[in-house]
Amino acid sequence: MMLIKIAWRNIWRNTSRSLTILIAIMIGLAAALMASAFSMGFVQQRFNNVIERFVSHIQIHNPEFVHDGEVYQYLDKPQKLLQSLSQIPEIKYFTERTKINGMIASAKVSAGVQITGIKPEAEQRLTDLKGWLTKGTYFEDVKRNPVYIGQELANKLKVDVGSRVVINFQDLDGDITAASFKVVGIFKTIELAFDEGTVFVRRSDLNSLLGDEALTHEIALILNDFNQTTTVKNQLQQQFPAYEVRSWENLSEELLMMQEMTTQSLIFLVFIILLGLGFGILNTMLMSVFERTRELGMLIAVGMSKMHVFRMIMLETLFLSFTGAITGMLSGFLLISWLGTKGINLAGLAGDSLAIYGYGNMIYPDLEPQFYFQTAIMVLLIAVLSALYPAFKALKLVPAEAVRKE
Amino acid sequence: MAVIETIGLTKIYNETIVPVKALHEVDLSFDQGEFTSIVGPSGSGKTTLLNMLGGLDKPSSGQILINRKDITTLKERQLTNFRLQHIGFVFQSYNLIPVLTAIENVSFIMLLQKHSRKKIDQRAREILEQVGLGDRLNARPSQLSGGQQQRVAVARALASRPDFVLADEPTANLDTQSAFNLLDIMEKLNREENITLIFSTHDQRVIERARRVITLVDGAVAGDEKRQQ
Ligand SMILES: Nc1ncnc2c1ncn2[C@@H]1O[C@H](COP(=O)(O)OP(=O)(O)OP(=O)(O)O)[C@@H](O)[C@H]1O
Ligand SMILES: [Mg+2]
Repeated sequence: MMLIKIAWRNIWRNTSRSLTILIAIMIGLAAALMASAFSMGFVQQRFNNVIERFVSHIQIHNPEFVHDGEVYQYLDKPQKLLQSLSQIPEIKYFTERTKINGMIASAKVSAGVQITGIKPEAEQRLTDLKGWLTKGTYFEDVKRNPVYIGQELANKLKVDVGSRVVINFQDLDGDITAASFKVVGIFKTIELAFDEGTVFVRRSDLNSLLGDEALTHEIALILNDFNQTTTVKNQLQQQFPAYEVRSWENLSEELLMMQEMTTQSLIFLVFIILLGLGFGILNTMLMSVFERTRELGMLIAVGMSKMHVFRMIMLETLFLSFTGAITGMLSGFLLISWLGTKGINLAGLAGDSLAIYGYGNMIYPDLEPQFYFQTAIMVLLIAVLSALYPAFKALKLVPAEAVRKE
Repeated sequence: MAVIETIGLTKIYNETIVPVKALHEVDLSFDQGEFTSIVGPSGSGKTTLLNMLGGLDKPSSGQILINRKDITTLKERQLTNFRLQHIGFVFQSYNLIPVLTAIENVSFIMLLQKHSRKKIDQRAREILEQVGLGDRLNARPSQLSGGQQQRVAVARALASRPDFVLADEPTANLDTQSAFNLLDIMEKLNREENITLIFSTHDQRVIERARRVITLVDGAVAGDEKRQQ
């Protein structure tokens, strides 16, 4: 008890020195957490974008289509599946898609694209395709062969709303088919590669060109509760073993890995910063021990055991570190929470360049509780390590030397 | 009965490099309740002797018997505990823990000795009253004068009623008035509590007050004079 009191008060003897190291720890930690949260927000944003806009929660394919994506690798007899899907309560919406590869050509230029046949009404409920519209309409009030293309592609083809384009592809019999489409709408997502490589047409138009009205390559569905993904996925897979049921986790493994790797490298960054701060603490405490040679010698002389002295120095170091760490983590947390709801707008800073990499302009810093926890563990570790050396130094004191007048 | 006895006490510093003979064959004995002053020129070995008696340093040869127990054979940890239980110390300076109040400083040793809270508090108040600081219980050392600080140190040394108290030049940093004042208190406590008190000093005025004066010259006892007062 007494030791704790002495240790705590000892920290505040050299107020400016203690404050210096405290503020260093506080700012260092808050900044490290903030930088981490910013990076995580960056990754998370892309994550959400991809899942919400393009991937949906669960997708069902012909297992071979997953690898090759050929036109004939469609879902075999999907009627039963469709019926079940409409009966599973966890499922909010689902939609069928026809997905083939082909060429799109304007009068001047042609380009390879993925042609996705969608049911415009149903698709709208799953993805934000309509929301990305920048010009024209989203399949509204059009009679023959409308096509919805990305801004990048429009630029490349030098076409605009109202232009005619020709789309070439292989039909189910392996014959090359060509059809004329009219650009009705232009969209822009945050991922330029997507805008350049994907076009959307009505599934009914595409299917009649392909020669099978019911042709379906992909069924995408979203659930009422995102957290039900694995349960529903497993249930469907069990019920329909002939199909391949994949959740967003399978669909975007690359994203998960990216998130994981980002977390790892950020933890490492925080560790490096903490290591630096650890040396600061060590130095502060060493100075403090050397300054108190006489006093510590006196304490040992009058009967305080070296173990007590050791513990006292440890306590002082830990108090110092923890005071800094707690305030640092707290201010980091508050800053992150605040910016996490408010968001950071990078538009002025980066302009359009972020979109090239598939990022939006608004970043919402975010850190998992796990990250704080791991940081706290590292703080503890570093604090104990930086406490040991000064405390061992104090053990070396010889009381007879220490108490001699100079 | 002798509380402390030294037999052939010798201390040589730097035995391997440039040997300095600080104490040479010192045979002394101190009885219960004695009030002794160790005097002698600078470098004569006063501090060395007190450090040996207090178990702060090991002699090169010879024995130190405290209550017939040879402390020179004790291990460091046992020695620390021995100091805690049996010896009170007053140094020239740096006696007190700056972050603790007067009463906390006095209580500190008794806490280490694991006395009960209530007993500690009672005794700490009592002894601080006795050194005339009953009204400064909650003052920090920095708020006390040098003389008052030394009185707190004396109170701390005596609080747990040790077998004896060692004081190395306790008055060296004090003005005459404060020095006499401290001596009065030490003498009074020595008499009232019957605690053996040994202190070293340069100060002729202070020497007068001791009932026994041991003179050291070049690490050897050159005089041992008992006075009746
Ligand atoms: N750690 C040490 N190493 C080497 N020599 C030492 C050491 N400590 C003391 N000495 C020497 O031992 C001798 C006795 O010193 P000591 O401090 O005991 O004298 P003192 O009587 O207390 O002197 P003062 O009146 O100046 O305090 C001196 O010659 C001193 O230089
Ligand atoms: Mg001396």
